[in-house]
Amino acid sequence: MSYLFLSVSIVLCGGILPFLFIRQFNRMRAVAAFFTATGCLLGLVSAVLLLAGNDQPTISVGFLSSFTLDFKADGLSAFFLMVIFLISFLAAIYGYHYLDKPERAVRIAASHLFFSLLIAAMALVVTAYNIITFLLCWEIMSLASFFLVVHDHEIEENSKAGYLYAVYSQVGALFLLAAFGIMYASTGTLDFAAAASLSEPTKILVFALAFVGFGSKAGVFPFHAWLPHAHPAAPSHISALMSGVMIKTGVYGIVRLYHLLAWHTPLFGQIVIIAGMITGILGVIYALGQQDIKRMLAYSSVENIGIILIALGLGMIGVAAGQPLIAVLGFAGGFLHVLNHSLFKSLLFMGAGMVLHQTGTRAMDQLGGLIKRMPVTGSTFLIGSLAIAGLPPFNGFVSEFLIYMGGFRGAALGKSYFVLSVLAIISLALIGGLALAAFTKVNGVVFQGEPRGVPAQNAAEHGSGMLVPMVILAAACLIVGLFPTFFMALAIRAVAALNLGYGRIPLAPFVPLTANITRAAALFLGVLVLLWILRSFCYRGKTITQAGTWGCGFTRPTARMQYTSSSFAASILNFFSTVAPLKEEHPAIKGRFPAPTHYHSQIQDIAELQITSLIVRPVIFLFDKLRWLQHGEIHMYIGYILLAIVVALVFVFQ
Amino acid sequence: MQSILLLFIAMLLAPLYAAWILKIKAFFGGKKGPPLLIHYYTLIKLLRKGSVYSTSTTFLFKMGPLVSLTTAAVALMFVPIGGSPSLFSFHGDVIFVLYLLGLGRFFTIAAAMDTASPFEGMGAAREAYFPIICEATLFVMLILFYLLTGELKLSAYFEGLQPLRFWHTAGATLLFVVIALFIVLLTENARVPVDDPATHLELTMIHEVMVLDHSGPDFAMIELGAFFKLFFYSAFIARLIFPFTMGPLAADVALFFAILILIYGIVGVTESIMARYRMDKVPQFVLTSFALAAFATIITLEYIK
Amino acid sequence: MTNPVETLLVLVLLSVLSALGSSRLPSLIKVLSFQGLVVSIVPLFMGHEMNTGSIIFTLVTFLIRAFAIPLYIYVAIRRVAIRREANPIVGYHASLLLGLVLIVAAIAVSPKFNLPMPQGRPLMLPTAVTLVVAGMFLIMSRRNAIAMVLGYMMMENGIYLVGTGFSLRAQHIVEFGILLDVLAGVMIMAVILQHIKQAFDSLDTARLTTLKE
Repeated sequence: MSYLFLSVSIVLCGGILPFLFIRQFNRMRAVAAFFTATGCLLGLVSAVLLLAGNDQPTISVGFLSSFTLDFKADGLSAFFLMVIFLISFLAAIYGYHYLDKPERAVRIAASHLFFSLLIAAMALVVTAYNIITFLLCWEIMSLASFFLVVHDHEIEENSKAGYLYAVYSQVGALFLLAAFGIMYASTGTLDFAAAASLSEPTKILVFALAFVGFGSKAGVFPFHAWLPHAHPAAPSHISALMSGVMIKTGVYGIVRLYHLLAWHTPLFGQIVIIAGMITGILGVIYALGQQDIKRMLAYSSVENIGIILIALGLGMIGVAAGQPLIAVLGFAGGFLHVLNHSLFKSLLFMGAGMVLHQTGTRAMDQLGGLIKRMPVTGSTFLIGSLAIAGLPPFNGFVSEFLIYMGGFRGAALGKSYFVLSVLAIISLALIGGLALAAFTKVNGVVFQGEPRGVPAQNAAEHGSGMLVPMVILAAACLIVGLFPTFFMALAIRAVAALNLGYGRIPLAPFVPLTANITRAAALFLGVLVLLWILRSFCYRGKTITQAGTWGCGFTRPTARMQYTSSSFAASILNFFSTVAPLKEEHPAIKGRFPAPTHYHSQIQDIAELQITSLIVRPVIFLFDKLRWLQHGEIHMYIGYILLAIVVALVFVFQ
Repeated sequence: MQSILLLFIAMLLAPLYAAWILKIKAFFGGKKGPPLLIHYYTLIKLLRKGSVYSTSTTFLFKMGPLVSLTTAAVALMFVPIGGSPSLFSFHGDVIFVLYLLGLGRFFTIAAAMDTASPFEGMGAAREAYFPIICEATLFVMLILFYLLTGELKLSAYFEGLQPLRFWHTAGATLLFVVIALFIVLLTENARVPVDDPATHLELTMIHEVMVLDHSGPDFAMIELGAFFKLFFYSAFIARLIFPFTMGPLAADVALFFAILILIYGIVGVTESIMARYRMDKVPQFVLTSFALAAFATIITLEYIK
Repeated sequence: MTNPVETLLVLVLLSVLSALGSSRLPSLIKVLSFQGLVVSIVPLFMGHEMNTGSIIFTLVTFLIRAFAIPLYIYVAIRRVAIRREANPIVGYHASLLLGLVLIVAAIAVSPKFNLPMPQGRPLMLPTAVTLVVAGMFLIMSRRNAIAMVLGYMMMENGIYLVGTGFSLRAQHIVEFGILLDVLAGVMIMAVILQHIKQAFDSLDTARLTTLKE
């Protein structure tokens, strides 16, 4: 535990020290990267040791002489700590080359400060063990990430995104405050451990409120609307961290609350699994519809949160049904997907960051053919795409496989479990197919084919600091996919910390599953290599000619004729047009010699559409009616304050 | 040893069966048709050629055929051919195989997008679309099979007398599963009425247009992969429509290969008597398979309760 | 699954799905005709005691349900030459999936009705419930007046199935009365449709709202 605090302090040093070197830009970013990375590495090691060991260290610190800050690191915390420090470590290295404009030194120093604050806050959130500590760290985390989102605040789109994020995270925090407030009111203590003694209806209320609060951080539909705006706005290594790790704190919150409430009702599982299915399917549909590469990745994070929630919901259902195998498969699959998603999503965001940094655009339809000019970025992005589509032999497949296993067992339970499990399986299959379409689209449009615009034509890779983390992450995706047993054992240790009443969970029933994945992947790779050898044998001494792509009889093809991201996705989106309405905009063509025209299309998010009409408009209407209160006369304002004090006093002394 | 031999025979015969479809179509067209060994001739011809690569392409273009053949071949290794034990089998291999075929699809699409040709992009978009529904259908079927057997492996469903047991418990509703599986076969293998492998207009193709730029041994790999994939799906239907076993393995296997002639024949007849659907009608056709499979699952569960 | 009644009921359920998925009126009529045919021969296999009267009733029902009404509607749409498209408010894909959901829901709900259904026919009541609800859904979700009439017929098929389940003596008489009502209703509808068509040149029920004043 003390190592943990040491590492957090080192990370914070990485945030503060850069301010001393503002005039020496290179030294500044080196200091920032060095301290942050070292701290994270230390944290990573201590988290893995914690996960491997059996002790659950706790620490209490007095704070402002009125509260104590309690921290406790059990297996669940340790698992999330591992994810947080791993990705933060790589993001810190990536940031060294990504933020490379000496003329913006002050802003970059500030960015380093908030970056380190964000890492520290996340690490503390997952170890916090009383209400005050948790909420405090939660708020620091939200604020730090807010300032990172508005890094480029002079772009209007970004400041809007920041505003939206602030609103969502604060409203979410209010829901959390309500949930924890109810907890405090009924138990009379700030201690987390007391939550188990709540009455059952209160538990439902607390869980529902906290689910909204945590869900708005995690990006659960319909509380995800900030995510596709805020994640693209932040610098790419921050997007990687936010999308890969920060939103998982919402998942952590849900699991932690489930653990604390210690009530194994199927209701929680039902809530979580249904939310997961809706989030997953809609997330991937919207991801498919995006034309902005980072927005698309952000929506894909929504989708993966859906998968994680499906897994956790299955686990909760398994617990409620008294089926340890389903419970462990569900929870372990979910936790493993937390790890996996953090690996490939940060990889993809880093790849997208490289593209953005070198071409200056995020619009997919301006790009193309980048794999030839950016071989490392292109191939690691490809690996990330394969992994996120859940294809073997990469890591996404492993977690989805475990979830399927849990789902099928759940389907055999009968009754309402049956319906939910079957729906979960079908949603996972649908999500898998749609994710494949979405990521073949990104790869095909951005990295393959011919450049569609000038920026993509002369792009090149830049900065080993940006390339190395991507290579490491890509390798990690493959390693987890090939040898999942060890990582599943780690996930199962996190499950054991949930106190589901299974004691030490034996690995024996689960090792064969992952061992089979290893064997099957080896079989696949073996056949692949064999056929590759045969192929090169076939090509020995043959004439290989280069020529243009056959244009099907058309003699003057141009790069602009390639299938674009919108056209690739159009027919699939048409199938789902009820949930993803298409907004088109094109002036009518008039006259014999029409003027140049344009066409713009955009997939609309029904959550955003409905929130405007269901919440924003009524609220504006309501507050318009109260506008007479704000008349600009300062004397009356002071009167209001007096009135408020009197009312408060009446309440206190009645 | 025996399963390796069977696998080898299956792989060897797959192109022959595909030629049988051509024969049937030629018969309906009043033509003599190509010889039954046509696909072997084509494969040998292709393997002896060199290749022309588009200047737009990258290593992904070469990976496409390789991976699609590999995935199809590996998928075949999990199939219990003729009801005999499959070469490999583990709990959950169905999911692995389905996702492996997804991997093959990913690389086929990637290879098509690599050429920068608008037509290949069009085919790729369609290839990404229709199998989504197919996959959902297959998973619904898996749920049914899982509930009937408690296993998640292909060999547990199609080995020995198990298909017959399916008929006993599920009865006539299993027919819907067979029909649904047939629709999936037509869709996944780019046959009429979803896709017309013999059409001449690139705009209306799905699979053929994606492989336009491949040539030589690469193209041979794609063709071979397609034959394997067709064989993969046909094998299941064959086991389902003729679930009996004769006793001696040789007889079983011989019968299995005979039934396959029938199934490929039905594919050929379907291709001859049906027109290709308009592209926007295809999803409804594929969705029918989902509805049928889900329907069969619901009804069967009502019975085994 | 071996007994004929259950096989017939499965066919009925399948016809519900294909009715929800079919977009053209002629094919919808064919599906409904098939459904009527299957539904009306179910009593023959129920194992009730059959006297000559009930067999005749069943046969007449069969003729009306499977041939008379569908033919009449078919001729009617020929005569008024209306659009062949069912013109859905809820799309065909969604309708199809909803049909599946309906079947699951019907299976889940049916045991709660506590109706004296014959033993060993687990699909009887779910099928009937599905028919009634799917019929209502068809009426709600199609703009075309003919498609709505067909939805009405589907509901009637469902009610007939419930009646078949009870082995009451008076069942055939009551059922026959209803059927004659339906027949009369369909005839009146055809006449009215012809008049509406002549007067307004359209059979889109959405436009009938203008008649409210």
